[in-house]
Amino acid sequence: MPQNEKLDLLQGTLDLLVLRTLDAMGPQHGYGIARRIEHSSGDQVLLNQGTIYASLVRLQQRKWISAEWGVSGNNRRAKFYSITRSGKKRLAAETSYWQRLTAVIGRVLAPSEGGDR
Amino acid sequence: MNLDEFWSRLRGVFRRNRPDPDFDDEIASHLEFAKADAIRRGLSEAEAERLAAIQFGSTTAARERVWEQRRLPWIDTLLRDAQYAARGMRRNPGFTLVTLGTLSIGIGLCSVIYSTLMWVVLRPVPGIPEPERLAVIDRPVPYSSFEAYRESNNTSWSAAAFLGPVPITLGDDRATGLLVSPEYFTTLAVQPLLGRFFDPVQEQKGTPASVVLTEHFWRTRLRSDPQAIGRTLRINGRTLSIVGVAQRDFYGAGAVAFSVPDLFLPATANPSPAPELRDGFENRPSFQVLLRLATGVTIAGVESQLDAETRRLHHSGENKGRLIRLFPAGSLIPLPPEGRALFVLFYGVLMFAVLGLTCANLGGLLLARGAARVPEFAIRLSIGADRRRLVRQLLTESALLAVAGGAGGLLCAHAIFAILRSIQTLSNPVLDSFTRGPDLQAAGFSFAIAIVAAAGFGLLPALAVTRLDLTAAMKPGRIPGLPRYRPFGLRNFFVVGQVAAAMMLVLVMGFVVVGTQYGPRTDPGFDTAPVSFFSLDPARDGLAPAESAELLGRLPERLRRIPGVVIASLADRPPLDNTYPTTPVSVPGGGSHGVVLQSAGPAYFSALDARILRGVDFQQREMTSGPRSAGIVPAAINQTAASELFGSQDPLGLRIQHDGHEYQVAAVVRYAPRAMLMGRPIATVFVPLDTHAAASGITVVLRWRASVDMAAVRRAVADLDSRLTVFQPNTLTAAVADLESKASKAAALYTPIGLFGLVLACLGLAGVTAQTVQRRKKEIGIRTAMGARRSQVLRLVMGESAAMVLVGSAIGYAAATAFARALSAVASPVAQLIAPVASNWALTAGVPSLLIALAIASCYLPARRSAGIDPLNALREE
Repeated sequence: MPQNEKLDLLQGTLDLLVLRTLDAMGPQHGYGIARRIEHSSGDQVLLNQGTIYASLVRLQQRKWISAEWGVSGNNRRAKFYSITRSGKKRLAAETSYWQRLTAVIGRVLAPSEGGDR
Repeated sequence: MNLDEFWSRLRGVFRRNRPDPDFDDEIASHLEFAKADAIRRGLSEAEAERLAAIQFGSTTAARERVWEQRRLPWIDTLLRDAQYAARGMRRNPGFTLVTLGTLSIGIGLCSVIYSTLMWVVLRPVPGIPEPERLAVIDRPVPYSSFEAYRESNNTSWSAAAFLGPVPITLGDDRATGLLVSPEYFTTLAVQPLLGRFFDPVQEQKGTPASVVLTEHFWRTRLRSDPQAIGRTLRINGRTLSIVGVAQRDFYGAGAVAFSVPDLFLPATANPSPAPELRDGFENRPSFQVLLRLATGVTIAGVESQLDAETRRLHHSGENKGRLIRLFPAGSLIPLPPEGRALFVLFYGVLMFAVLGLTCANLGGLLLARGAARVPEFAIRLSIGADRRRLVRQLLTESALLAVAGGAGGLLCAHAIFAILRSIQTLSNPVLDSFTRGPDLQAAGFSFAIAIVAAAGFGLLPALAVTRLDLTAAMKPGRIPGLPRYRPFGLRNFFVVGQVAAAMMLVLVMGFVVVGTQYGPRTDPGFDTAPVSFFSLDPARDGLAPAESAELLGRLPERLRRIPGVVIASLADRPPLDNTYPTTPVSVPGGGSHGVVLQSAGPAYFSALDARILRGVDFQQREMTSGPRSAGIVPAAINQTAASELFGSQDPLGLRIQHDGHEYQVAAVVRYAPRAMLMGRPIATVFVPLDTHAAASGITVVLRWRASVDMAAVRRAVADLDSRLTVFQPNTLTAAVADLESKASKAAALYTPIGLFGLVLACLGLAGVTAQTVQRRKKEIGIRTAMGARRSQVLRLVMGESAAMVLVGSAIGYAAATAFARALSAVASPVAQLIAPVASNWALTAGVPSLLIALAIASCYLPARRSAGIDPLNALREE
């Protein structure tokens, strides 16, 4: 895979990234979350910014985040999202699950030393 | 999806078409932020706007994703399908009416059958905890044996005994009582509502009697008097005090469904208020024994323990065979397991027939309607719907029909129960709870049936009509999509099934209806006009046996002195009272027959104006009071009994045996009342009245010259003995009218069921024949063009339908016969109902012929159209 091609997000991981972003940055509007994800991934993630809104609706329905209209620093009206208590709990659980999963997958995919071949 | 999300999305479904301005604002604000960001990085206004739009991606796609996330797509589809289906139903009111009607009646019937089954077989006896651990010994035993059983083992069971229900005289009214051993209530583990129950210490042998009331009696007769405990009641001529009131819905255990006790008396009391418990009752086998088994104890284990105890009691050396059998007593009507299985089978088969008929008919209708909609499906398929989607659409339509049909079925069941209520012969709180209508469980069952039915009648047609050859289906000018004619195709399967189920239903119901129609409506065999009757129960009014016999001896003579009375006679039961069961009697060399055995005094037949056809009436000297001495006693029989017992032989002088007595036929009388719903008169044997043994009192029958004067009768009875109570006075005319109204209401119930089957079968046949004609239009066109005559074409089309009718009828007939035979194998009331009519040839041959004729006639109308097919038109359509 060429190094400069952007990464497709795995199913369900966007929700985790959104939760993590809100947890780290506090209340944030949709554009801010999208930018932050792109930025902190070093612009490695392929993200149609529009896709983030379905994820935001889903997280609201699950009561992991809440939303409120407000005014941004440069006086623009925007809907601000913030993580809830159960969202934080969920984030912790998901993070540890993700870490275990990646560790296992990493181990399995690691180039074997003096392996079978 | 977690629960919060589900609810949130479910709410979303019902906010259907509301636009989402909030989200539009959010997109706008997002794009503003992006643009400002880009301008900050030095892009031109236009460039920035473009970049923001690219980064955001398609706003339509985003909106769609949010929209989908906000609702439940499958519910959306379901609602759309349901809406579409409802529109379709409104567009075809005729079709909707027929299908809904069919389904409602079908489901209503199933719901009634189910309620009956639950009630008769499976319902636990009310008001008793852990009823499944109760068992009852299959036969009555003497009180002394019960005491031995009770004492013999204290770990496997606890035992109680009861006698009854027995009639009780209560002031000048009648009630029903149960005579129970003191541990009756503790064995059943029930608690009193007020006061106390009997117990072995306070109700020791020889203590004076007291009485426990049921809550129903306390509520209806004592108006829920809170001070009832300690008050007294005048019972069988004695004053007894009330010690307790049972809980609501408690009526004892055992077969209480048809005779619900009002009160309980201790069997141990002395002197006993009940004539059943006088002189040496302890050794008469008259008590039912109830056992409550300990946990982990099996019925078989208890049976062998009881056997051992019985052998010890009778000092019987032999050690083989089962002496005692136990039935589970936890259900409303105690039945041995094999009886239970039979009931379940009977009702199961009935339900299956009704449901099968309904489903087959609806299946056929839906198939026909589906075939007419083939162009619609073809278009939907060709613009991209997949077959699963169409099947789902069709199933939704069936389900909608089923839900509406389920509701209709419940209404129908309520209507049927209303009729049942009005023809019910007995009325008591337990039976009334049944005829009040289907309970929640039965309602749930109706809807379950409806859903199953929807799957049954919806799935097959849905699969069949969506299997389409698109190119052929879209061709104009032909009836597309109809598969090649197959003699064993789905359509024909539906039709044969329908005819079979209809035949079975019509036969069984036909027996009932015809039996009812020609039953009590016909001449009962006597003139009813100026006859009245009433009952007396001297034993319960507190008269000693000798006193009572002497009194009854004088009674007819005294009553004849009332002005206007022509004849006065005695009998052991009211005339036309058909609630008595049949008794087996045997004739030498002729085996055993079930007859109604009743006893009557002299002049009984002339009082009823039942003509003595041959022989002579009973004489005064043949009446007895007390045990009959050995010797031959005369009997009078009616014509039905004569032909059943003796065939074509001259019955006069022939012998009948019953219960160790031998009777000689002295008279044949014209006496022809019919039991409820029965097709022919009941075989009846009259024996001379034994004034001592009449267990539930004596009925006095009076023939008057013109009008009835009950006041004079009461005066005359009081004049004879002031203790006597006159109860249940009635006139014969009123009794006949009552019987007839019940019979006609029963017919009103069963006729529609039979007609339902008939109409369904005819509709189904007509529909299928019409389709066959359409399907074979071209073939018929060619035949006509080649010179086939009208009659030949007609024969071609009718032949196929007639074959289906015949095959279906044969199957249905065989099923109905097998069914009737299986029933007659066990002596259930249903078998008694069907058996006499099932052997009636006019019915067994007439009903099928009628059905076949009707079915073939209903094919004729559409078939006639085939003859009118214009060959030119038919062939041009390619």
